[in-house]
Amino acid sequence: MKKFLQNKKLLTAVMIVFVFLAVLGGSVSLRNKRNTPFLIQSLGNDVVAIGSKIVNVPVSIISGGLTNVDQLLKLQKENDYLKSQVTDLGQTKARNQSLEAENQQLRSALKMKSTLTGYQPINATVISRSSDTWSDLLVIDKGATSGVKKNQAVMSNGGVIGRIIEVNAASAKVELITTTDKSANRFAVQATAGNGKQVHGIITVDSNGNLALTQVIDSLKLKQGTRVYTSGMGGNSPKGLLIGTVAKTTRDQFGLSNLIRIKPAGEIDDPSVVTVINREAAAN
Amino acid sequence: MRTFRKWILALLLLGAIVLDGTCSLYLNRLFNFTVSSSLLLVGVILIGLLDDINEKEVWLALGAGIVADLFNFGFLGIYTFFLPIICWLSQKIARYWPEIWLARLMVAIGGTVLFDAYTWLIFNATGIISTSVKQLLMSIPGTIGSAIIFFVVSYWLWERMIRNYPFLVDLSAYRQ
Repeated sequence: MKKFLQNKKLLTAVMIVFVFLAVLGGSVSLRNKRNTPFLIQSLGNDVVAIGSKIVNVPVSIISGGLTNVDQLLKLQKENDYLKSQVTDLGQTKARNQSLEAENQQLRSALKMKSTLTGYQPINATVISRSSDTWSDLLVIDKGATSGVKKNQAVMSNGGVIGRIIEVNAASAKVELITTTDKSANRFAVQATAGNGKQVHGIITVDSNGNLALTQVIDSLKLKQGTRVYTSGMGGNSPKGLLIGTVAKTTRDQFGLSNLIRIKPAGEIDDPSVVTVINREAAAN
Repeated sequence: MRTFRKWILALLLLGAIVLDGTCSLYLNRLFNFTVSSSLLLVGVILIGLLDDINEKEVWLALGAGIVADLFNFGFLGIYTFFLPIICWLSQKIARYWPEIWLARLMVAIGGTVLFDAYTWLIFNATGIISTSVKQLLMSIPGTIGSAIIFFVVSYWLWERMIRNYPFLVDLSAYRQ
């Protein structure tokens, strides 16, 4: 022991390891516990986010130009598809309006102020992404001043792509739904089975980053292509946000329960614009 | 102006943090898989290799690491520890390493691969990710490719800035 204490290099190395472990553990724990980061951290993050916004302007113009060329090539195919959809659109719109009016009347008759489905969208632009290979984190240009809060769901291209994990004044971090983070909050979801019954479960992720619906009882009744929505039961996300569709049903590695693979509906690889979902029921 | 000259390298590293995030975002869209962006890492390694007598560069690497960690991950421990250590190691290596472009590229590649493995280890240990060793091995070619591209693109700028504006040293005071 005396020899160890006299060896300055060894002592310094051990102290560095201790400091490293304390800083890492403490800051990860703080990030998970706190709703908003410390003021100095929030300020620093916003300064870098402003820099990212400035850099993003010319880069997005160049990138947008290249995307436009790509889109032009796909235009004819898309036009044919849209023409086939237009005929149904008028009828769907009229039916939607009448259902909305009926919904309002029924709500007022029942004196309902808010339901699990109510939410306000907050549109934001993705300005940065974590620069390492492993973490699935995005930075968006809206923060607490725009009403963004921790744990709110984030959508892109019609499907849920992740959740807010840190909120600064003018920026926020989004953890993608494909993250393998064991401490991440999972989405409570539901789907309608072939027999018309509602099947409930939660979304998990395997080590390859594939989405799966687990903790389900009647999973075999879910057919391929069945849409999976948030159930609003977790307390953070409203009901009815599309997560994805059932890709296939298999057994887990132990062969004990069913594993339902989900094909994500949201744009996870290219989310340039996202919508943060501010749940109304939670706000009331 | 004298104070500004002393802090140019720090501002460049801040710019590298911003550009790393933007490059990572657009490269990911382009290739449809996660590509690491290593401009900051390459910069810190080159600072260590090109300015091996200025001990203040290690403190600069620590500061850059804290900002990068808080902006990228929201916690400390990834860049905060790796950047000063790799800067210090590069300074030690520089004393007997050939002072040629290719030799420095080798160090940059080694450092980037080491960082990839380090982040994988820390993220797995803390439960932030749970990925296999196979995935780590599969990521190595992409990491090497990224390191080469960022090194080639930025070497000229880094070299000029590190030689002319070492951190907290005003070279013009010696030139007069």
